[in-house]
Parts: sequence; structure tokens; C-alpha cells
Amino acid sequence: MAARLPDMTTLLAPGAQPLPSLLSARRLKNQKLARTLRFWVPAGLLIALFFMCFIWPHIYSIPPGNTGSILAAQEPPFSPGHWLGTDPDGVDIFSMLVYGGQVAFEVGFSVTAIGMVIGGLIGLAAGYFGGWADSILSRLIDVLIAFPALVLVLAVAEVLQPSEIHLIWALSVFSVPAFSRVTRGSTLVVREQPYIVAARLSGTSSWRIILKHVLPNVIPGIVTFSLLGIGVVVILEGAVDFLGLGIQQPEPSWGAMIAKGQTVLTAQPEYVLIPSIVLLIFVMSLNLFGDALRERWGVR
Amino acid sequence: MALAQQVQLQRDPGARADLVRRVTGSPALRLVGRRLLTAIPVLLGVTLLTFVVMNLIPGNPARLILGINATPGQIAQVDHQLGLDHPFWDRYWIWLDGLLHGDLGIAYSNRQSVNSDLAQFLPTTCWLLLYALVVSLGLGIGVAMLAARKPNGLADRLSLAVSMLGLSVAPYVLALVLIWVFAVKIQWFPAISNSLGSNPLTAIRALTLPAASIGFPLFAIYSRLLRADIVEQMQREDYIVTAKAKGLKPWRVLVVHATRNSMFTLITLVALNLGTLIGAVAIIEPIFSLPGIGAELISAININDLPLVEGIVVVFALVTVAGNLIADLMYAVLDPRIRYGRSAS
Amino acid sequence: MSNALLEVEDLRVAFAAGGREVRAVDGVSYQVDPGKTLAIIGESGSGKTVGCRAIMGLLPDNTAVSGSARLRGSELIGLSDAELRKHRGQDMAMVFQDPARSLNPTMKIGSQITEAVRAHRKVDRKEARAQAVELLRLVRIPAPERRFSEYPHQLSGGMRQRVMIAIALACRPKLLIADEATTALDVTTQAQIMELLLELQAELDMALILISHDLGLAASYADEVVVMYAGKIVEQAQAKRLFGTGGTVRMRYTRALLDAIPHLDRTAHTELPVVTGRPPDPTALPVGCSFAPRCPSAADDCLAKSPVLAEHAPGHSWACWHPCEKGTEA
Repeated sequence: MAARLPDMTTLLAPGAQPLPSLLSARRLKNQKLARTLRFWVPAGLLIALFFMCFIWPHIYSIPPGNTGSILAAQEPPFSPGHWLGTDPDGVDIFSMLVYGGQVAFEVGFSVTAIGMVIGGLIGLAAGYFGGWADSILSRLIDVLIAFPALVLVLAVAEVLQPSEIHLIWALSVFSVPAFSRVTRGSTLVVREQPYIVAARLSGTSSWRIILKHVLPNVIPGIVTFSLLGIGVVVILEGAVDFLGLGIQQPEPSWGAMIAKGQTVLTAQPEYVLIPSIVLLIFVMSLNLFGDALRERWGVR
Repeated sequence: MALAQQVQLQRDPGARADLVRRVTGSPALRLVGRRLLTAIPVLLGVTLLTFVVMNLIPGNPARLILGINATPGQIAQVDHQLGLDHPFWDRYWIWLDGLLHGDLGIAYSNRQSVNSDLAQFLPTTCWLLLYALVVSLGLGIGVAMLAARKPNGLADRLSLAVSMLGLSVAPYVLALVLIWVFAVKIQWFPAISNSLGSNPLTAIRALTLPAASIGFPLFAIYSRLLRADIVEQMQREDYIVTAKAKGLKPWRVLVVHATRNSMFTLITLVALNLGTLIGAVAIIEPIFSLPGIGAELISAININDLPLVEGIVVVFALVTVAGNLIADLMYAVLDPRIRYGRSAS
Repeated sequence: MSNALLEVEDLRVAFAAGGREVRAVDGVSYQVDPGKTLAIIGESGSGKTVGCRAIMGLLPDNTAVSGSARLRGSELIGLSDAELRKHRGQDMAMVFQDPARSLNPTMKIGSQITEAVRAHRKVDRKEARAQAVELLRLVRIPAPERRFSEYPHQLSGGMRQRVMIAIALACRPKLLIADEATTALDVTTQAQIMELLLELQAELDMALILISHDLGLAASYADEVVVMYAGKIVEQAQAKRLFGTGGTVRMRYTRALLDAIPHLDRTAHTELPVVTGRPPDPTALPVGCSFAPRCPSAADDCLAKSPVLAEHAPGHSWACWHPCEKGTEA
């Protein structure tokens, strides 16, 4: 289907004028602007959240996130000293958001980092070298992936004392296989590229090929996957906290906040809504940023 | 096989050998066989992993059951009763043996067989999952087709925005928000349902909000992926140009040609997501007080009822493996290139 | 108004790529008479495929088309997709280059043909099936009833191309465009398919447009030849005038193409005169003749001003400031 051009009769004369330009400068500028926004808005939100959770408490002292006085219970937002108010136990909501956010960032990024490094190495090796090592590793990975992630984490929470570190280990058990699978898939594809085959034939050592050629081509896909992964981990961590099997009270976490708010949902939905919105913004920014990166790097 | 062929087989051993050859020669069946074989070690691994994880609990289950004031004698007695004085591998073997015979053991808490517990709660979960899956798939496919019809058009942008929301929202958050909106504010659906009720209507009322909580993220994934695949087909594949050159209407090209070939990705995705799907019930059911195995798992964890937790976890894991297997099989069955293989011409 | 089947006048196609405008087709005019064969010859990027797809309306949305293309008097350019669809498949049809990719892999051959039939004719399934089998027979596929239920990957390349032709002919169009239809096939199959196309052309009284990079193909099968380079026509004449005894090729590019074809009676072990360089970047066409950078006889005025296509001899147009001498054997 072709675009209808405005006045065809004038263009019918042989040897006629050039075509009206398809690309209006304005449309191009708009497209570029949209693309820039898609990158920087989520990035900015993430930076803002990071700032709020890690830097702000050092600049400006905030009330503790795990204790509060009953006297200050259920203060509404914008009260003096508690700009988002307090919960039924008197704990400052903003502080809970900040400290819960710290947990979210820490768990999200560490689990993903562990997954990327360990899972990535495993996937690279399995995908590149193949053979029986690959078969065995793939079976192992299949076993771990076969477990519904949440159930596995819950089972582990049941076994180990719930704490932030244990949570990170438990979640890594499912992020490592996920990353290794994705890396393996990418490696398999890249491995068959002609220039890799040429390098192999020329006798270059395997690890050199992997580091110099395979890795750079696999990394974009891994990074965009990891951004999605952080979001999944944060939601999962929140779920475990929500069930009371993760970060233990009174230490704050977004999931626990939501759980506590559940009891007063009818009357005061804000206790559920505030942490929910922050969680949503966090994960959505991660997803949007991942999309923007994918767009920029041309990953499929 | 036709009756005549069957009769022929009886009479002619050569024909039987021929049939065997035909069956083993069929690429689809060979694929199926191969997949089944590779699934077995995975299944075994899954059971082993479950057992290992559950049995790493520090502390003695007998002690947990009997309480703090138990005497060593009582503990030893209960240990023996529960078979906990056997070495690890023996216990695993016994358990696995029971598993293979369909017996998942006895729950600590109520001394009933885990099987009967599961049987009681499984149906609710199954209905919930079915509801969520059907609605999310149906809507997902429909929205994907609408969006793919005109890439970057209004429907497309809207659906992308909604999908982004679905991908970013946590199911438990969604559940609570849905409860607040639909159960508290406009009272269309109940917030808590202790049972599915006696007729399909009450069941649907009870299951809608939970199914929506699980289904919305799923819908987001499906519609996004399918849309991307369809658009890719429409823009890059040559057979689409042929279809257009025939003078077919755009909808027909989209549905009959592009979507058909995109179904493979979708099926794989659905099967692969079975695991996430099941995991989600563990959070959603307790919120709505639905009597399903997810809720049962959480309560079992809270009271340290090992066999029950084990049993449920194994069921979850087995279903996930089965899901992957089915995805593989469906691929083999649906893709004519695999089904028919090559034939000389 | 002549009795030409297809009249193309000043066809122009442009699209946007990477922020710049690409003039894929830049003012192309030609005519195809009923039952005749036109060959459009050019390198990849010359605009030969894009032009015909524009006429069929098969270009992606982000292209702009202007000019005129009249099929039996009715204007095609500027029609909505719904209106063009009535012509596609019914009055004009296209056969594509790679039959492996141009057929839906998950749909039976027979269904793909009946679909083409039922797109324009109101027939029931039985009748459509019968017509499809008939079409398979028409394109000389043995055992058509069996082939009807097979999938594309079960057929060889040549067979697949025959199926494509069957699909194209489903509604007996008066114009068939073969876009590099034989390029992806081996030489023997190429010849077979070309023979088939010619037989069908005679049987069904169809006009044929052959799009190719192969000048030899044009020489063997075409009535009229159009040579394209960088979106423009650079030489246009009846085949008899260009090839064979007494024929002359005037434009330097066509000359170069001809010279590059290996002949059996060439002196052995001499260098093949290939055309050096590559086609110009369509987003940055040179001022002056587009072929000048690669032309062995380019002069200053070639680089300065673009030659205009004009009928310098009866029935023979070319666009060259310094054409080949008349009488040079083709």
C-alpha cells in the first residue's frame, strides 16, 4: 500500500518535478525526541529511586523504618516530620519505603549480578564447548528451571532462617539457571557465525575466542534480559516478604508493607497503595529502560 | 489403522517389521520418544532436589511435632514411626518408591494421607488456572491480532501500554487493588471465597478476581509476544507478499497466514510459563482464601508439615516439567515440516 | 488511448531509510502489449522489482508512489488497497524469486491454490479443489491429486516454483510478472520454468514481464527490453534491435552488461570484462549520469549533467551522452 500523494495530475507530466519529500523534518525530530524520552525517563526514575533510597537518608535524617511510637500512629500524609504519614504502628511510611527500597535494590541487583556472572559463565561454556558437559549442565539447568521459582524460594525459606542474605541465595538458585539458559542460547547462535568459525579454524584458543568475539555479541542480549530479571526478582522478593517468609518484621520491606496494609484495605487503602505504586514504578522503569536499551542496541 | 491392515499384520510378520520401521522412521514419533527419554532424568532430578531441600531442615521434625517438653524416648519413638531413623538415601528411596506408586506419604499435621489432601484441594486450583489461562490466552490472541493489524497504530500503542502495565505489576498487588475496586467499592465480586459454591455461576464469581490477578500478567506476556511475532511475519516473510499478491483481504492474510505461523512461539511460551503460573497460585489463593493447593502449601510451610510441603512441591514441579514436554510435543505435531519430514520428489 | 495492456508513465517510488530519502524508481515509463513479453533488466538496487511491486501495490506503507500505471485503461496508482485487491491476482499476478520462502510452510499446497481461486471467484470447495488440481496439471506437475495435499517442503525447488505459477494463474490474469522467477533455481530447472512460462503465455494469451539481472534471458525470451540503472531507464528497445544480427546496443551500461557475459567463442584465458565498482548509494546519487563513475568511456559532460532518455532512433531510446557506435555487434 502506498501513500496517497496530494496532487497527481501535476506529477503526471513526463520528466516532472521531484517527489514531495517523505521525511518532514518535524516528523524526524519528533521520532528522535520520543526515542530519547523513552531512554531517559525510565533511567531518570531509576536514578531518582536510587537516590531516594540510598543517598537521601544520609543527607537528611529520616525516622527509623522499623520502629515507631504508638502515639504517632496513623498520622495522615504531610504531617510534620512524617511527610507520607505513619502506619497503624506509628512507623513512618516514607522511611519504610526508603529502607524497603534499599532491600529491593540490594536483592534485585545482587541476585541478577550473581545470575549474570555465574549463569553467564556456565551458559557460555555449555553453549560454546558443547559435548557431554553441555548435556549434563543442561539437564541440571532443566531440573532447576522445572521448579516454579516461588515454590522453590518458599521451600528454601522454610529451611533456612529468613533473612536478606538467605533470600539472595535462594533467589539466585533460580536466576543462575535462567541466565545460563539465555546465555547458552545466544552463544549457540553466535558460535555459528562465519567469523567465529574462521577464528576457530585459524587455531585461536577457545577462551580467547569466547572473550574477544563471543562475549561482546552475547552481552547486549544478556543485559536487556537482566533488566527484566531484576524486575522479576524484586516482585518475587516482595511476594516472599508478603507471605511473611522473607524479610522478617520489624525490618521493613515493600512486600511486608503491602501485607500489613491488607488488613485495613477497606478503610485505608493507602497503606497498600503507596508501596504498591512505588513497586510498580520501580519495575516498570526497569522494563521500559530494558526496552529502550534493546531498541538502542538492536537486540532482537 | 484400517481393519484390513491390522488383519494383514497378523498374517504377515514381514509387514509387522515394516510397520515398526515406519513408526521408528516417523520423525515426529522419534522426536516424541527422544523427548520422553530426556524428560526422565529431569523428573528424577526434580524429585531428588525436592527431597534434599526439604530434608536439610535443621532440627528434628519429631521434636517439632511433640513440642519442647518431649523426652528423648518419645522423640526416638516418633522418629521411628516417621521412618526418620533410616539413612538419607534409604529414606529417599522409600519416598520415591511411594511416589512412583502414587503415594505421597502421610502429613504430619493431620495424619491424613497427602494424596487425599491434594485431591481435596487440587480441583479448585485447576479451575482457577484453567480460567486464568483461557481468558488470558483468548484476550491475548485477540489483542495481539488487533494490534498487529496496524503496527504503531492506536490499537497497537494502547495494547503495548496495557501490556507494559501487566508485565510490571505484581500479582499480589493486582489482587489487592482488584479487591479494593471490585469487592469493596463496587461489590461485583467477593473478596473471599471459602469454596467454589454449588453451581458454575458462584464458581465463576468466586474465581474471577483471582483469575484476573494471575491472568493479567500472563495476558500481557502473550499479547506482546504474539504481536511481535505476527508483525515480524507480516513484514519480513515472503509468503505474506505472495498472499497479498493473490488479492486476499488483509484480515485473512493476518489470521490465516501470519498468526498461524506465530502460534508455535505462543504454544512454547504457554507451556514454559506453566511453572510461573503455578507459582502464582501460592500467593493468590491465600489472599482470596481459596481452598486450593497453593493456599495449602503456604499453611503447610507455616506449620512445618514436611510431607505435605514435599508432596505439593513435587506436584508443582512435575506439572512444570510436563508442561515443557507437552510444548515440545505440540511443536512436533503441529509443524508439518517435522511431522512429514522430507520426501523425495 | 492505445490498446496496450499496461501503460506505465513516469512512475516514481521513494521511501525513507535511516533518515534519508531513497529514490528507488525515478521516472520510469514503458508499455506492455497483450500477449507480449517485456524484460526489465538491471542490477539489484536498480529499482526493477520496486517498480513492479508499486504497480501491484505490494510495497510497505512507508513508501510514496507517484506517476501513472494504467491496466487496460484503469489507473492503478493512487487506488486504495481495497480497490487494488480486486486487480491483484485477477488481472495481474506475480511470481517471486524464492519459492522456498514464498510459500506458506504450514499450509498445504492445494489450500494455497484454492485460496487464490476463491479470492476472486465464488466457487465452492469441491469446485475450487478441482480447479486447483487442474492448475497443477497446467504447470506440468505430475500426480497433481497427490501433490495437492502435500506441504511445500516436500517438493523440490522447481516444483515449488511451478506451484507459485499455478497460484499466480489461478484466475487467469492477463498480465504475469515474473520477478527473478528463475534466479534461485539451477540452470536446467531455469530453462524448464522459462519454457513453461512461454507455453502458458501462448496458451492463456497473457502478457509477461520478466524481471531479471540476466541480459541473456532477455535476449532469448523477450519481445521488448528495458534496462534500468539506479532507478532510471537507460535503454529501451525491441529485443530484435538490441540483440542478434544487425542489433546494436547503445548505452554504455548495457554494452558493459553484454560484454560481461561469457561466450563460448571468446578467446580462452583472457580477462572477462566485468563492470567494476558498485551501484551508487541510492541516498546519495551523483550529479550527472549515475553510471558515469563506472563507465569506461565517461567524459566530463557525463559527470556534469544527467542524460535524458530519448528516442534517438525509431523504436530505440537510450540515455547516454556518448553511446556506443552504431554497428557494434551485440
